[in-house]
Amino acid sequence: MARAAADLPPKGGFSFDLCRRNDMLLKKGVQPPSFRKTGTTIVGLVFQDGVILGADTRATEGPIVADKNCEKIHYMAPNIYCCGAGTAADTEAVTDMVSSQLQLHRYATGRESRIITALTLLKSHLFSHQGYVSAALVLGGVDVTGPHLHTVYPHGSTDTLPFATMGSGSLAAMAIFESKYREGLTRDDGIKLVCEAICSGIFNDLGSGSNVDVCVITKGHKEYLRNHLLPNPRTYISSKGYSFVKGHTEVLSTKITPLKEKVEVVEGDAMEE
Amino acid sequence: MGDSQYSFSLTTFSPSGKLVQIEHALMAVGSGQTSLGIKAANGVVIATEKKLPSVLVDETSVQKIQLMTTNIGVVYSGMGPDSRVLVRKSRKQAQQYYRLYKEPIPVTQLVRENAAVMQEFTQSGGVRPFGVSLLVAGYDDNGPQLYQVDPSGSYFSWKASAMGKNVSNAKTFLEKRYTDDMELEDAVHTAILTLKEGFEGQISGKNIEIGIIGADRKFRILTPAEIDDYLAEVE
Repeated sequence: MARAAADLPPKGGFSFDLCRRNDMLLKKGVQPPSFRKTGTTIVGLVFQDGVILGADTRATEGPIVADKNCEKIHYMAPNIYCCGAGTAADTEAVTDMVSSQLQLHRYATGRESRIITALTLLKSHLFSHQGYVSAALVLGGVDVTGPHLHTVYPHGSTDTLPFATMGSGSLAAMAIFESKYREGLTRDDGIKLVCEAICSGIFNDLGSGSNVDVCVITKGHKEYLRNHLLPNPRTYISSKGYSFVKGHTEVLSTKITPLKEKVEVVEGDAMEE
Repeated sequence: MGDSQYSFSLTTFSPSGKLVQIEHALMAVGSGQTSLGIKAANGVVIATEKKLPSVLVDETSVQKIQLMTTNIGVVYSGMGPDSRVLVRKSRKQAQQYYRLYKEPIPVTQLVRENAAVMQEFTQSGGVRPFGVSLLVAGYDDNGPQLYQVDPSGSYFSWKASAMGKNVSNAKTFLEKRYTDDMELEDAVHTAILTLKEGFEGQISGKNIEIGIIGADRKFRILTPAEIDDYLAEVE
Protein backbone atom coordinates (compact mmCIF):
# COMPACT_ATOMS: atom_id res chain seq x y z
CA MET A 1 0.00 0.00 0.00
CA ALA A 2 1.08 3.60 -0.47
CA ARG A 3 1.06 3.99 3.30
CA ALA A 4 4.30 2.06 3.36
CA ALA A 5 6.17 5.11 2.11
CA ALA A 6 4.95 7.54 4.80
CA ASP A 7 5.75 6.86 8.45
CA LEU A 8 2.33 7.58 9.96
CA PRO A 9 2.11 8.36 13.70
CA PRO A 10 0.33 5.63 15.74
CA LYS A 11 -3.46 6.03 15.83
CA GLY A 12 -4.87 6.81 19.26
CA GLY A 13 -3.05 6.58 22.59
CA PHE A 14 -2.30 3.76 24.97
CA SER A 15 -5.39 1.74 25.91
CA PHE A 16 -5.84 1.70 29.69
CA ASP A 17 -8.67 -0.87 29.74
CA LEU A 18 -6.51 -3.62 31.19
CA CYS A 19 -5.21 -1.28 33.90
CA ARG A 20 -8.81 -0.70 35.02
CA ARG A 21 -9.35 -4.45 35.07
CA ASN A 22 -6.22 -4.96 37.17
CA ASP A 23 -7.28 -2.34 39.70
CA MET A 24 -10.70 -3.96 39.97
CA LEU A 25 -9.15 -7.41 40.51
CA LEU A 26 -6.88 -6.00 43.20
CA LYS A 27 -9.90 -4.57 45.05
CA LYS A 28 -11.48 -8.02 44.93
CA GLY A 29 -8.37 -9.49 46.53
CA VAL A 30 -6.73 -11.19 43.50
CA GLN A 31 -2.97 -10.86 43.76
CA PRO A 32 -1.20 -9.84 40.54
CA PRO A 33 1.72 -12.08 39.47
CA SER A 34 4.99 -10.86 40.92
CA PHE A 35 7.56 -9.51 38.48
CA ARG A 36 11.27 -9.04 38.70
CA LYS A 37 12.12 -5.65 40.17
CA THR A 38 15.63 -4.35 40.23
CA GLY A 39 15.38 -3.16 43.89
CA THR A 40 18.54 -1.23 43.29
CA THR A 41 20.90 1.48 44.14
CA ILE A 42 21.81 3.60 41.12
CA VAL A 43 23.83 6.82 41.26
CA GLY A 44 25.42 9.39 39.00
CA LEU A 45 27.66 12.39 39.50
CA VAL A 46 29.31 15.07 37.42
CA PHE A 47 33.07 15.38 37.82
CA GLN A 48 35.57 17.75 36.25
CA ASP A 49 35.92 15.91 32.90
CA GLY A 50 32.45 14.40 32.54
CA VAL A 51 29.98 12.05 34.21
CA ILE A 52 30.33 8.88 36.32
CA LEU A 53 27.43 6.44 36.67
CA GLY A 54 27.27 3.61 39.20
CA ALA A 55 24.91 0.73 39.97
CA ASP A 56 24.65 -2.41 42.09
CA THR A 57 23.97 -5.78 40.45
CA ARG A 58 21.13 -7.45 42.37
CA ALA A 59 17.77 -8.16 40.73
CA THR A 60 14.95 -9.22 43.09
CA GLU A 61 11.65 -11.06 42.66
CA GLY A 62 9.84 -10.22 45.88
CA PRO A 63 12.06 -11.62 48.66
CA ILE A 64 14.19 -13.75 46.33
CA VAL A 65 17.35 -12.66 44.55
CA ALA A 66 16.62 -13.47 40.90
CA ASP A 67 19.97 -12.38 39.44
CA LYS A 68 23.14 -11.88 41.50
CA ASN A 69 25.04 -10.13 38.73
CA CYS A 70 22.69 -8.30 36.39
CA GLU A 71 23.66 -5.26 34.29
CA LYS A 72 21.80 -2.12 35.25
CA ILE A 73 23.85 0.38 33.27
CA HIS A 74 22.33 0.39 29.78
CA TYR A 75 23.86 1.66 26.54
CA MET A 76 21.93 4.47 24.88
CA ALA A 77 24.49 6.02 22.54
CA PRO A 78 28.31 5.96 22.29
CA ASN A 79 28.35 9.01 24.59
CA ILE A 80 25.24 8.34 26.69
CA TYR A 81 24.53 5.65 29.28
CA CYS A 82 21.48 5.11 31.47
CA CYS A 83 21.07 3.34 34.84
CA GLY A 84 17.66 1.76 35.43
CA ALA A 85 15.68 1.02 38.60
CA GLY A 86 12.17 -0.38 38.94
CA THR A 87 10.80 -3.25 36.88
CA ALA A 88 13.71 -4.85 35.00
CA ALA A 89 11.68 -5.55 31.85
CA ASP A 90 10.46 -1.95 31.70
CA THR A 91 13.91 -0.41 32.07
CA GLU A 92 15.39 -2.78 29.46
CA ALA A 93 12.60 -2.24 26.96
CA VAL A 94 12.45 1.53 27.30
CA THR A 95 16.22 2.03 27.08
CA ASP A 96 16.47 -0.33 24.06
CA MET A 97 13.69 1.54 22.29
CA VAL A 98 15.15 4.99 22.90
CA SER A 99 18.65 3.75 21.97
CA SER A 100 17.21 2.58 18.62
CA GLN A 101 15.47 5.92 18.06
CA LEU A 102 18.69 7.80 18.87
CA GLN A 103 20.57 5.71 16.28
CA LEU A 104 18.01 6.58 13.58
CA HIS A 105 18.29 10.24 14.59
CA ARG A 106 22.09 10.04 14.27
CA TYR A 107 21.81 8.65 10.75
CA ALA A 108 19.43 11.41 9.76
CA THR A 109 21.42 14.30 11.29
CA GLY A 110 25.00 12.99 10.96
CA ARG A 111 25.72 14.32 14.46
CA GLU A 112 26.50 12.92 17.92
CA SER A 113 23.37 12.42 20.06
CA ARG A 114 22.62 14.89 22.83
CA ILE A 115 21.60 13.82 26.34
CA ILE A 116 18.63 16.20 26.25
CA THR A 117 17.33 14.30 23.19
CA ALA A 118 17.48 10.98 25.02
CA LEU A 119 15.85 12.64 28.04
CA THR A 120 12.93 14.03 26.03
CA LEU A 121 12.33 10.74 24.20
CA LEU A 122 12.29 8.87 27.53
CA LYS A 123 10.03 11.30 29.38
CA SER A 124 7.51 11.54 26.53
CA HIS A 125 7.20 7.77 26.42
CA LEU A 126 6.89 7.39 30.19
CA PHE A 127 4.35 10.21 30.48
CA SER A 128 2.18 8.79 27.72
CA HIS A 129 1.99 5.54 29.72
CA GLN A 130 0.88 7.45 32.83
CA GLY A 131 3.37 5.79 35.18
CA TYR A 132 2.43 2.22 34.28
CA VAL A 133 5.89 1.72 32.77
CA SER A 134 7.76 1.38 36.04
CA ALA A 135 11.17 2.70 35.02
CA ALA A 136 13.14 5.12 37.20
CA LEU A 137 16.31 6.13 35.39
CA VAL A 138 19.55 8.00 35.93
CA LEU A 139 20.68 9.28 32.54
CA GLY A 140 24.14 10.71 32.02
CA GLY A 141 26.62 11.53 29.27
CA VAL A 142 28.79 14.12 27.56
CA ASP A 143 27.87 15.88 24.33
CA VAL A 144 28.83 19.07 22.47
CA THR A 145 27.14 21.20 25.12
CA GLY A 146 29.06 19.55 27.96
CA PRO A 147 28.45 16.89 30.64
CA HIS A 148 24.84 16.31 31.73
CA LEU A 149 23.15 14.23 34.43
CA HIS A 150 19.37 13.75 34.71
CA THR A 151 16.93 11.61 36.66
CA VAL A 152 13.66 10.38 35.13
CA TYR A 153 10.70 9.23 37.22
CA PRO A 154 8.11 6.62 36.09
CA HIS A 155 5.42 9.27 35.60
CA GLY A 156 7.61 11.25 33.26
CA SER A 157 9.05 14.06 35.37
CA THR A 158 12.77 14.79 35.21
CA ASP A 159 15.42 16.54 37.27
CA THR A 160 18.80 17.92 36.24
CA LEU A 161 21.36 17.55 38.99
CA PRO A 162 25.12 17.52 39.68
CA PHE A 163 24.70 14.27 41.67
CA ALA A 164 21.71 11.92 41.82
CA THR A 165 20.56 8.61 43.29
CA MET A 166 17.53 6.41 42.53
CA GLY A 167 16.09 3.08 43.63
CA SER A 168 15.39 1.50 47.01
CA GLY A 169 18.94 2.21 48.16
CA SER A 170 18.81 5.86 47.09
CA LEU A 171 18.63 7.24 50.62
CA ALA A 172 21.67 5.27 51.74
CA ALA A 173 23.62 6.43 48.68
CA MET A 174 22.41 10.04 48.91
CA ALA A 175 23.65 10.22 52.51
CA ILE A 176 27.18 9.52 51.21
CA PHE A 177 26.87 12.01 48.34
CA GLU A 178 25.47 14.79 50.48
CA SER A 179 28.35 14.58 52.93
CA LYS A 180 31.24 14.01 50.51
CA TYR A 181 30.36 15.50 47.08
CA ARG A 182 32.26 18.58 45.87
CA GLU A 183 32.39 20.22 42.45
CA GLY A 184 35.39 19.52 40.25
CA LEU A 185 36.24 16.02 41.53
CA THR A 186 39.03 14.16 39.76
CA ARG A 187 38.35 10.86 37.99
CA ASP A 188 39.75 8.66 40.75
CA ASP A 189 38.03 10.61 43.52
CA GLY A 190 34.78 10.46 41.58
CA ILE A 191 34.99 6.69 41.08
CA LYS A 192 35.82 6.22 44.76
CA LEU A 193 32.83 8.31 45.84
CA VAL A 194 30.48 6.45 43.48
CA CYS A 195 31.71 3.10 44.78
CA GLU A 196 31.24 4.26 48.38
CA ALA A 197 27.68 5.35 47.64
CA ILE A 198 26.80 2.07 45.91
CA CYS A 199 28.41 0.05 48.70
CA SER A 200 26.35 2.01 51.19
CA GLY A 201 23.25 0.90 49.27
CA ILE A 202 24.52 -2.70 48.95
CA PHE A 203 25.15 -3.12 52.67
CA ASN A 204 22.24 -1.11 54.09
CA ASP A 205 19.40 -1.91 51.67
CA LEU A 206 17.94 -5.39 51.17
CA GLY A 207 16.91 -4.64 47.60
CA SER A 208 20.52 -3.96 46.55
CA GLY A 209 23.53 -6.21 46.74
CA SER A 210 26.38 -8.11 45.08
CA ASN A 211 28.81 -6.09 42.96
CA VAL A 212 29.43 -2.52 41.84
CA ASP A 213 29.32 -1.49 38.15
CA VAL A 214 30.81 1.86 37.17
CA CYS A 215 30.69 3.78 33.89
CA VAL A 216 32.92 6.82 33.25
CA ILE A 217 31.96 9.07 30.33
CA THR A 218 34.19 11.93 29.18
CA LYS A 219 34.36 13.93 25.96
CA GLY A 220 34.92 11.50 23.13
CA HIS A 221 35.66 8.53 25.42
CA LYS A 222 33.81 6.12 27.67
CA GLU A 223 34.85 3.35 30.07
CA TYR A 224 32.38 0.70 31.15
CA LEU A 225 33.91 -0.90 34.28
CA ARG A 226 31.75 -3.96 34.73
CA ASN A 227 32.11 -5.42 38.25
CA HIS A 228 34.58 -2.73 39.23
CA LEU A 229 34.24 -3.81 42.87
CA LEU A 230 33.31 -7.25 44.19
CA PRO A 231 32.62 -6.71 47.87
CA ASN A 232 30.51 -9.88 48.24
CA PRO A 233 32.58 -12.88 47.17
CA ARG A 234 31.37 -16.42 47.92
CA THR A 235 33.87 -17.59 50.50
CA TYR A 236 32.73 -21.05 51.52
CA ILE A 237 33.07 -23.11 48.33
CA SER A 238 34.87 -26.39 48.86
CA SER A 239 37.23 -26.97 45.95
CA LYS A 240 37.23 -30.74 46.51
CA GLY A 241 33.48 -30.92 46.02
CA TYR A 242 31.17 -33.06 48.14
CA SER A 243 30.91 -36.85 48.16
CA PHE A 244 28.09 -38.72 49.79
CA VAL A 245 28.93 -42.40 50.40
CA LYS A 246 26.30 -45.13 50.78
CA GLY A 247 24.81 -45.18 54.27
CA HIS A 248 24.50 -41.35 54.55
CA THR A 249 20.82 -41.56 53.64
CA GLU A 250 18.43 -43.79 55.64
CA VAL A 251 16.50 -46.28 53.44
CA LEU A 252 12.86 -46.41 54.45
CA SER A 253 11.51 -49.01 51.98
CA THR A 254 12.64 -50.94 48.89
CA LYS A 255 10.57 -52.06 45.90
CA ILE A 256 12.08 -53.81 42.89
CA THR A 257 10.13 -54.12 39.63
CA PRO A 258 11.84 -56.34 37.01
CA LEU A 259 11.57 -55.15 33.40
CA LYS A 260 9.35 -57.45 31.33
CA GLU A 261 10.58 -58.48 27.91
CA LYS A 262 8.07 -57.03 25.45
CA VAL A 263 10.06 -57.37 22.24
CA GLU A 264 11.21 -60.77 20.97
CA VAL A 265 14.17 -60.69 18.62
CA VAL A 266 13.97 -63.60 16.13
CA GLU A 267 17.02 -64.36 14.01
CA GLY A 268 15.64 -64.94 10.55
CA ASP A 269 17.07 -66.15 7.26
CA ALA A 270 18.84 -63.73 4.97
CA MET A 271 16.56 -62.08 2.41
CA GLU A 272 16.30 -63.68 -1.02
CA GLU A 273 18.18 -61.63 -3.62
CA MET B 1 4.82 0.14 -30.78
CA GLY B 2 1.96 -2.11 -29.72
CA ASP B 3 3.10 -1.85 -26.14
CA SER B 4 2.28 1.84 -25.91
CA GLN B 5 -1.40 1.11 -25.35
CA TYR B 6 -0.42 -0.67 -22.12
CA SER B 7 2.13 1.78 -20.89
CA PHE B 8 -0.09 4.08 -18.87
CA SER B 9 -1.06 1.65 -16.12
CA LEU B 10 1.59 0.19 -13.88
CA THR B 11 -0.42 -2.83 -12.93
CA THR B 12 -1.22 -4.04 -16.44
CA PHE B 13 1.02 -6.41 -18.37
CA SER B 14 1.68 -5.66 -22.02
CA PRO B 15 1.03 -8.46 -24.58
CA SER B 16 4.76 -9.14 -24.77
CA GLY B 17 4.78 -9.88 -21.03
CA LYS B 18 6.51 -6.72 -19.86
CA LEU B 19 5.48 -4.11 -17.35
CA VAL B 20 6.24 -1.05 -19.40
CA GLN B 21 6.37 1.30 -16.42
CA ILE B 22 9.25 -0.68 -14.96
CA GLU B 23 11.10 -0.46 -18.24
CA HIS B 24 10.61 3.29 -18.12
CA ALA B 25 11.84 3.38 -14.54
CA LEU B 26 15.02 1.63 -15.70
CA MET B 27 15.40 4.36 -18.34
CA ALA B 28 15.22 6.93 -15.53
CA VAL B 29 18.05 5.05 -13.84
CA GLY B 30 20.00 4.84 -17.07
CA SER B 31 19.94 8.59 -17.50
CA GLY B 32 21.14 9.22 -13.93
CA GLN B 33 24.71 9.98 -12.96
CA THR B 34 27.18 7.10 -13.14
CA SER B 35 27.83 5.14 -10.00
CA LEU B 36 29.79 1.94 -9.47
CA GLY B 37 30.89 -0.55 -6.87
CA ILE B 38 33.78 -3.01 -6.57
CA LYS B 39 34.11 -5.88 -4.12
CA ALA B 40 37.70 -6.47 -3.05
CA ALA B 41 39.09 -9.39 -1.10
CA ASN B 42 39.09 -7.41 2.16
CA GLY B 43 36.38 -4.80 1.63
CA VAL B 44 34.03 -3.00 -0.75
CA VAL B 45 34.20 0.40 -2.42
CA ILE B 46 31.31 2.36 -3.95
CA ALA B 47 31.66 5.60 -5.85
CA THR B 48 29.58 8.08 -7.82
CA GLU B 49 29.81 11.25 -9.83
CA LYS B 50 28.54 14.28 -8.02
CA LYS B 51 27.71 16.68 -10.86
CA LEU B 52 25.79 19.61 -9.45
CA PRO B 53 23.37 21.59 -11.62
CA SER B 54 25.22 24.86 -11.10
CA VAL B 55 28.53 26.13 -9.75
CA LEU B 56 26.56 28.10 -7.18
CA VAL B 57 25.36 24.96 -5.34
CA ASP B 58 27.14 24.36 -2.01
CA GLU B 59 28.65 20.93 -2.71
CA THR B 60 29.28 20.22 1.01
CA SER B 61 25.52 20.04 1.55
CA VAL B 62 25.02 17.27 -1.03
CA GLN B 63 25.72 13.71 0.05
CA LYS B 64 24.80 10.93 -2.36
CA ILE B 65 26.42 8.04 -0.49
CA GLN B 66 24.51 7.24 2.70
CA LEU B 67 24.87 4.90 5.67
CA MET B 68 22.11 2.37 6.26
CA THR B 69 23.79 0.82 9.30
CA THR B 70 27.30 1.21 10.71
CA ASN B 71 28.51 -1.57 8.40
CA ILE B 72 26.31 -1.10 5.32
CA GLY B 73 26.41 1.83 2.90
CA VAL B 74 24.49 2.64 -0.27
CA VAL B 75 24.83 4.69 -3.45
CA TYR B 76 22.19 5.26 -6.13
CA SER B 77 21.70 6.18 -9.76
CA GLY B 78 18.50 7.92 -10.74
CA MET B 79 16.14 10.12 -8.75
CA GLY B 80 17.70 11.33 -5.49
CA PRO B 81 14.46 11.91 -3.57
CA ASP B 82 13.33 8.32 -4.27
CA SER B 83 16.57 6.98 -2.82
CA ARG B 84 16.07 9.10 0.31
CA VAL B 85 12.75 7.37 1.02
CA LEU B 86 14.33 3.93 0.55
CA VAL B 87 17.32 4.73 2.77
CA ARG B 88 15.06 6.02 5.52
CA LYS B 89 12.92 2.89 5.38
CA SER B 90 15.98 0.61 5.39
CA ARG B 91 17.46 2.34 8.43
CA LYS B 92 14.23 1.78 10.31
CA GLN B 93 14.04 -1.87 9.18
CA ALA B 94 17.63 -2.45 10.33
CA GLN B 95 16.81 -1.06 13.79
CA GLN B 96 13.65 -3.17 14.02
CA TYR B 97 15.65 -6.27 13.06
CA TYR B 98 18.16 -5.52 15.79
CA ARG B 99 15.41 -4.95 18.37
CA LEU B 100 13.83 -8.28 17.47
CA TYR B 101 16.89 -10.54 17.13
CA LYS B 102 19.62 -8.57 18.98
CA GLU B 103 21.84 -9.23 15.96
CA PRO B 104 23.08 -6.58 13.49
CA ILE B 105 21.13 -7.16 10.29
CA PRO B 106 23.05 -9.23 7.71
CA VAL B 107 23.57 -7.50 4.35
CA THR B 108 21.44 -10.02 2.43
CA GLN B 109 18.49 -9.50 4.78
CA LEU B 110 18.60 -5.73 4.42
CA VAL B 111 18.84 -5.99 0.64
CA ARG B 112 15.90 -8.38 0.62
CA GLU B 113 13.75 -6.02 2.69
CA ASN B 114 14.70 -3.13 0.41
CA ALA B 115 13.83 -5.16 -2.67
CA ALA B 116 10.49 -6.14 -1.12
CA VAL B 117 9.61 -2.46 -0.66
CA MET B 118 10.55 -1.67 -4.26
CA GLN B 119 8.46 -4.59 -5.51
CA GLU B 120 5.48 -3.42 -3.43
CA PHE B 121 5.44 -0.24 -5.44
CA THR B 122 5.17 -2.19 -8.70
CA GLN B 123 2.04 -4.01 -7.64
CA SER B 124 -0.08 -1.43 -5.84
CA GLY B 125 -2.68 1.06 -6.96
CA GLY B 126 -1.99 4.73 -7.20
CA VAL B 127 1.79 4.54 -6.83
CA ARG B 128 4.69 4.55 -9.26
CA PRO B 129 7.88 2.44 -9.17
CA PHE B 130 11.01 3.94 -7.60
CA GLY B 131 13.21 5.67 -10.16
CA VAL B 132 16.49 4.48 -8.62
CA SER B 133 18.80 1.50 -8.68
CA LEU B 134 20.79 1.03 -5.50
CA LEU B 135 24.26 -0.37 -4.97
CA VAL B 136 24.48 -1.72 -1.42
CA ALA B 137 27.95 -2.34 0.01
CA GLY B 138 28.41 -4.10 3.33
CA TYR B 139 30.72 -6.23 5.44
CA ASP B 140 29.29 -8.79 7.84
CA ASP B 141 30.04 -12.34 9.03
CA ASN B 142 29.83 -13.53 5.42
CA GLY B 143 32.59 -11.14 4.40
CA PRO B 144 32.44 -8.18 1.98
CA GLN B 145 29.33 -8.03 -0.20
CA LEU B 146 28.03 -5.85 -3.03
CA TYR B 147 24.38 -5.95 -4.18
CA GLN B 148 22.44 -4.09 -6.85
CA VAL B 149 18.69 -3.54 -6.39
CA ASP B 150 16.56 -2.52 -9.36
CA PRO B 151 13.22 -0.66 -9.55
CA SER B 152 11.47 -3.96 -10.28
CA GLY B 153 12.61 -5.30 -6.93
CA SER B 154 15.11 -7.80 -8.27
CA TYR B 155 18.53 -7.87 -6.67
CA PHE B 156 21.86 -9.31 -7.72
CA SER B 157 25.16 -9.85 -5.97
CA TRP B 158 28.07 -8.47 -7.96
CA LYS B 159 31.85 -8.61 -7.84
CA ALA B 160 31.86 -5.27 -9.62
CA SER B 161 29.05 -3.30 -11.21
CA ALA B 162 28.12 0.08 -12.63
CA MET B 163 24.85 1.90 -13.28
CA GLY B 164 23.71 5.15 -14.83
CA LYS B 165 24.78 7.07 -17.90
CA ASN B 166 28.04 5.43 -18.78
CA VAL B 167 27.11 1.91 -17.76
CA SER B 168 28.31 -0.09 -20.79
CA ASN B 169 31.74 1.57 -20.98
CA ALA B 170 32.17 1.38 -17.24
CA LYS B 171 31.23 -2.31 -17.12
CA THR B 172 33.63 -3.16 -19.96
CA PHE B 173 36.40 -1.30 -18.15
CA LEU B 174 35.63 -3.12 -14.89
CA GLU B 175 35.54 -6.52 -16.61
CA LYS B 176 39.05 -5.93 -17.90
CA ARG B 177 40.45 -4.60 -14.65
CA TYR B 178 38.78 -6.78 -12.04
CA THR B 179 40.77 -9.53 -10.30
CA ASP B 180 39.47 -11.77 -7.53
CA ASP B 181 42.35 -11.06 -5.17
CA MET B 182 42.18 -7.27 -5.42
CA GLU B 183 42.88 -5.37 -2.20
CA LEU B 184 40.70 -2.48 -1.04
CA GLU B 185 43.31 0.15 -2.01
CA ASP B 186 43.55 -1.25 -5.56
CA ALA B 187 39.77 -1.32 -5.76
CA VAL B 188 39.60 2.38 -4.87
CA HIS B 189 42.12 3.21 -7.61
CA THR B 190 40.21 1.11 -10.13
CA ALA B 191 36.95 2.82 -9.13
CA ILE B 192 38.50 6.24 -9.69
CA LEU B 193 39.90 5.22 -13.08
CA THR B 194 36.52 3.84 -14.12
CA LEU B 195 34.80 7.09 -13.17
CA LYS B 196 37.46 9.06 -14.99
CA GLU B 197 36.73 7.15 -18.22
CA GLY B 198 33.39 8.82 -18.86
CA PHE B 199 33.94 11.99 -16.86
CA GLU B 200 33.21 15.31 -18.53
CA GLY B 201 35.45 18.00 -17.18
CA GLN B 202 38.11 17.99 -14.49
CA ILE B 203 37.74 15.23 -11.89
CA SER B 204 38.45 16.27 -8.28
CA GLY B 205 37.52 15.50 -4.69
CA LYS B 206 34.62 17.92 -4.97
CA ASN B 207 32.74 16.28 -7.84
CA ILE B 208 32.98 12.59 -6.95
CA GLU B 209 32.03 10.72 -3.81
CA ILE B 210 33.63 7.50 -2.54
CA GLY B 211 32.57 5.25 0.30
CA ILE B 212 34.60 2.30 1.58
CA ILE B 213 34.20 -0.48 4.10
CA GLY B 214 37.04 -2.71 5.23
CA ALA B 215 37.58 -5.55 7.68
CA ASP B 216 36.94 -3.11 10.53
CA ARG B 217 33.26 -3.23 9.42
CA LYS B 218 32.81 0.52 9.63
CA PHE B 219 31.42 2.14 6.51
CA ARG B 220 33.17 5.42 5.87
CA ILE B 221 32.63 8.19 3.34
CA LEU B 222 35.96 9.66 2.22
CA THR B 223 36.54 13.38 2.68
CA PRO B 224 37.28 15.49 -0.43
CA ALA B 225 40.88 15.82 0.82
CA GLU B 226 41.31 12.03 0.98
CA ILE B 227 39.81 11.67 -2.52
CA ASP B 228 42.29 14.24 -3.83
CA ASP B 229 45.12 12.17 -2.32
CA TYR B 230 43.87 9.05 -4.12
CA LEU B 231 43.54 11.05 -7.36
CA ALA B 232 47.13 12.19 -7.03
CA GLU B 233 48.24 8.56 -6.57
CA VAL B 234 46.34 7.54 -9.67
CA GLU B 235 47.98 10.20 -11.87
